Amino acid sequence: MLNLIRRFIVRTFSLAFACAFAGTAAAVAGTSAPITAQYQQQTIRFTHVESGSLGLAIGSQDPGLQAVLRATGAVITWKPGERYVMITTSVPVVVSFAVGDRRYEVGPISLQASFAPYQEGTEVYLPFDEVLRSLDLALRQDGPLTLLQPQLATLDVSTQGARTTIVAHGGAPLHPRVTNETPSSVTYEFDGVGTTLSGTRAVNAGGIRALQIAQTGTARDPKTLVTVQLLPGAAHEAPHSNDDRDVVLGFSGAPSTAQTVAQQPGQPQQPQEQQPQQQALPQEQQQQQAAQSSQPSTAPSNAPATVTGVTVQQSPDGYVVSIAVTGNASFEWHRLRDPDNRFWVDITGAQLAGPPLDQDEPDPLASLRVRQNDPQTVRVAISLIGPKTLTISPAATGLTIAVGRQDASDVARMGTGSIGSVVASNEEQDLVTPAPIDENATDNANDANWKFGPHDDNSGYVAKNPRLIVIDPGHGGSDTGTMHGGLREADIALDMAKRLRDILTARGWQVQMTRETDVDVYGPDASAHDELQARDDVANRAGARMFVSLHVNAFINSGPYGTTCYISKKGDYALARSIDRFLANDGTKDDGIIKSHLYVTLHSRMPAVLIETAFLTNPHDYALLASSSWRQKVVQEIADGIAEYSQSHPVSNQPAQ
Amino acid sequence: MRTSRLPLLVLVLAIVAAGTWYYLSHRPGAAGSTLTVYYTKLDGTTLGTLSVSLRSQQPGEGAAEHRHNVALYAAVEAVAGPPSEVQAIRFPPGTRVLGATVNGSTATVDLSREVDQQPGGAFAENGEFKALVYTLTGLPGIDAVQVKVEGKTLPTLPGGHVELDTPLHRSDF
Repeated sequence: MLNLIRRFIVRTFSLAFACAFAGTAAAVAGTSAPITAQYQQQTIRFTHVESGSLGLAIGSQDPGLQAVLRATGAVITWKPGERYVMITTSVPVVVSFAVGDRRYEVGPISLQASFAPYQEGTEVYLPFDEVLRSLDLALRQDGPLTLLQPQLATLDVSTQGARTTIVAHGGAPLHPRVTNETPSSVTYEFDGVGTTLSGTRAVNAGGIRALQIAQTGTARDPKTLVTVQLLPGAAHEAPHSNDDRDVVLGFSGAPSTAQTVAQQPGQPQQPQEQQPQQQALPQEQQQQQAAQSSQPSTAPSNAPATVTGVTVQQSPDGYVVSIAVTGNASFEWHRLRDPDNRFWVDITGAQLAGPPLDQDEPDPLASLRVRQNDPQTVRVAISLIGPKTLTISPAATGLTIAVGRQDASDVARMGTGSIGSVVASNEEQDLVTPAPIDENATDNANDANWKFGPHDDNSGYVAKNPRLIVIDPGHGGSDTGTMHGGLREADIALDMAKRLRDILTARGWQVQMTRETDVDVYGPDASAHDELQARDDVANRAGARMFVSLHVNAFINSGPYGTTCYISKKGDYALARSIDRFLANDGTKDDGIIKSHLYVTLHSRMPAVLIETAFLTNPHDYALLASSSWRQKVVQEIADGIAEYSQSHPVSNQPAQ
Repeated sequence: MRTSRLPLLVLVLAIVAAGTWYYLSHRPGAAGSTLTVYYTKLDGTTLGTLSVSLRSQQPGEGAAEHRHNVALYAAVEAVAGPPSEVQAIRFPPGTRVLGATVNGSTATVDLSREVDQQPGGAFAENGEFKALVYTLTGLPGIDAVQVKVEGKTLPTLPGGHVELDTPLHRSDF
């Protein structure tokens, strides 16, 4: 009998759980009907579509979805059997779904999808609406035609003092134009994008009183109008873009109405004034400005957020409740079950600006209440007439709650998320950054704040030939290194190596080069291991006193510039410190000493340094690298650093200096 | 007597099972924690961070599977990097995470071949792998990251500088 009961338990539970997972799919997979949609003058056909009461599901291998992902620059990460399904958008933001879990993560925010993703065969099916939303797209009907409409998805408002920056991000290239301009407002028209952000948001800072967002046009030819209501004396700048899908709108004014009175009239707009300075000091200025502009926070991260206003606007589908929040806060929302159709959201870490609100609202809303629930929490409560659909959309500037006219069943009952900047402010970075060079430090690793493990310790190395320095011109032969503007790293490195050799030999050192011409050290097209090890072998077999590898740096844009000394072992530090001290005034920025896991410095037994002399991709550094006099100056400084090191670290038979 | 009680027993078990299923499928997802994603700033060495939401262990997801899933998620976040308006060293465009596994205290991250498309110089490589290593080793129990490219362990990237044929630790950077 016991066995019988056990069998029943196992079978019953197995059946129940099988029903549970099948039920998830069945709840969605009512029918399979392809969808044909127009998108950017293309006809996209979604064939791996399943529709049911909870919405549309799209298969991960659907050709239409793959085409949309390619067009938007997004990538999906999933393999059969994996639980997590991740879409990396072009922003980039990672949208993370999980099989069997309705919750999905969008960067710092956790949201509830209409149903959980499920796997069928070798394909995972995802909630289509949520996938499209993550790509800043939405399905819209235009009569019989289905459209994949790009959305103006976010408007991130960042205020710093008297200046406000609004970054608009959309699902298509944004080219806003000013359609109306008065002393008190400016209206931008974003052609070709719809939006779900419709409504009014109070700002009252940085020259801006409020934002009004509305959609016009047709489903096929949508337009989104963003009207910025200005505070007295505020000025706006022409929109500019670093990326097709991001447009920056800049405003200058007073941080508040009260401060507007104290504002000096005629304050110049920054871009026009700064441009000549950027040309005069391109790198330093650009980097500083880039660093400043990368501060995305609307308020200091430790300052309490403020709920500055709650507005209700009619929308084509119902009403939109917009909660304007400045600063960073978290929220948690709940809704009760029909017939008690109450909804509330608690915004934690926030203060309510202004008096509480308690007012009746038109159908399908019944009432709206806003109050400071406790010293840390603002509660916004909505009573609904019926179990209406609710869509909660957090953003950097607040929270919108779209209330539909349709009744919904099996809806999520709670959710959590964050409002405000997705990026932490710069308070934490130094904690994980190697300490800068301490001018008073010795080469003792403890004094120098460097952390080296036992395997990094080559301090016991004894050179077989203490008069020998091996110079390694980076790359060469089949490996040109980086190339830019007709210059090749391999050539520059070899030129500087020969110059350094001549100086050192003149000072009494023996010098061996890993290569004297434009050749591979190991052999043409050798493996990276063989080629790099061959360079270390030259120095290791000769028992050299030092190993100096000369290189040229590069990056994907022209921003970074400067000279960097890379090291890997404890014994490398003192050599790098001496060289870096002389290179500090080489005409470009001193980026100091960086510890890294570089092959040639790691596998050389003696003190070694890899010097990235300058960036070929930066115009200022490029001009230096192209100059033979600068290259001579740099190697002279490297030689002086070697001299200082050898004097401070003498061995019995080192050459006289 | 025994026979007459059997249908009742089955009915009770069915009700319990159905209730369990309803609870598991309708309860809100358990609140997750956050994952710290590191990125390297344009000075080539300083790290910035951003926090992203991290899904908690789900019903039916074993501890080992959750560890794997979180490592995969962390790798995808690290390779994606911060939003484009943040100045950061980034993996070459198109670089994808093909897979991630955890064996002991070492996470292995398999990257697509696009990672080979480096601009040159040690600057970008160092910044990319430093951010990846710091992000993965921020997870409990992981202290090293083995990088693979298209499933293969390489000494370095082609024409590259950072040694990749041994696991990377925070102390390497």
